[in-house]
Amino acid sequence: MTESAERYTANIVDTVIFRSLGKPPNQHVESLKQAVAAASTELWVPPAIYRELTDSSQEPPQNPYLDSGVADGWIRVASPFSGNRETPYESVSDPVQQAQHLADGYLNEQSKYPETNNWRDASVVALAVRLFEENTRIRVITHTADENLARACARIPPEFGYHNIESRYYNPPQTAKRRFPTVESLSWRGE
Amino acid sequence: MSYDTEHVRNAGDGPARITGLPTFTALLTNPDLADLYTQVRQEAGVTAPELIEEANVSKKTVYDYLHRLEQAGLVVETDADGTGATSRYEAAAFELALTIRGIEVSVTPELVAVIARAKEYPVITRVCDDNGVVAFALAHDLIKAHSEGELTIRQIAELTDLSTGTVYDLVEAVYAIHDLGDDAEEPTTYSPADVANDELSLESTDE
Repeated sequence: MTESAERYTANIVDTVIFRSLGKPPNQHVESLKQAVAAASTELWVPPAIYRELTDSSQEPPQNPYLDSGVADGWIRVASPFSGNRETPYESVSDPVQQAQHLADGYLNEQSKYPETNNWRDASVVALAVRLFEENTRIRVITHTADENLARACARIPPEFGYHNIESRYYNPPQTAKRRFPTVESLSWRGE
Repeated sequence: MSYDTEHVRNAGDGPARITGLPTFTALLTNPDLADLYTQVRQEAGVTAPELIEEANVSKKTVYDYLHRLEQAGLVVETDADGTGATSRYEAAAFELALTIRGIEVSVTPELVAVIARAKEYPVITRVCDDNGVVAFALAHDLIKAHSEGELTIRQIAELTDLSTGTVYDLVEAVYAIHDLGDDAEEPTTYSPADVANDELSLESTDE
């Protein structure tokens, strides 16, 4: 068995990609489900992204974009992260929390606009680091329509010794409905 | 939302002065008027009959709008073929510059072109009605900056006080109307080697 075949590939997906695909059932989501199975992977989302796509006006709240995929087992929602943005970086020792702080700061450094709270964006990077921390033989692919977040996803995990990451950037965002649900986009390229 | 108006001015080779502030305001709130102005801007030298053929409003309304735009200095009648037989129209460029929370925002014909598509993209009317044209103009500028990779969609939401869901809908509309983004068949893939030189601060993000 090759090294490639032995490694599990996890795909972390940002909100904008699911919004581009639309609410299931539809052809884009069906194509995605088939591509996930063909690529032998799973889609992961941080809790913050699950909440962002949740319709809280329903009782109980429902997630029209993700719940069916979660129930079918091909979308996985990560358990909540510990720590918060108010905790100073210097007092944090957990690599996952450190990564989230670094991503938050990186996104402000890359932007010419006033500083913002980037904790939800940074959760994508944090989840990547957590998956590396918890799995020895893993590769991670991230998917977003924000260029700076895409760069953060490739830039920050190596700070913790994790280099098996590829970060896909969809521009314009609405093309994700066509470019994302493919075996190629969900598979490790190793370029 | 507080803001300072720095200046309103004509841009390019338009007439010297925009005189009709009510019409200028209507241009930002009336999609049909915005659509007519945008058509004149995109087809310099267009005639009234040509505009009537493409318009979503009545012949009478087209002439009324042309008159209003002309009175306001936003459209000028020209004699492009030199015969004087047919009235032809050209749009005057303009720019309204504002500063909101330290961010420069511009109200330009490009913004009017988006408002002209409000019936196609309901989120445009929703944001203009609920948050005001200035907030919409800010979002419009930031979405263009997003297409250049300068900030994230969630950063736009925070800077505009709009919900992320609303910003996602606006992003899709503005990208489509302005044909922003690249034409590549595949997404861009970054590996650690591609971004190894990006600076990373280890300072606290705590304010």
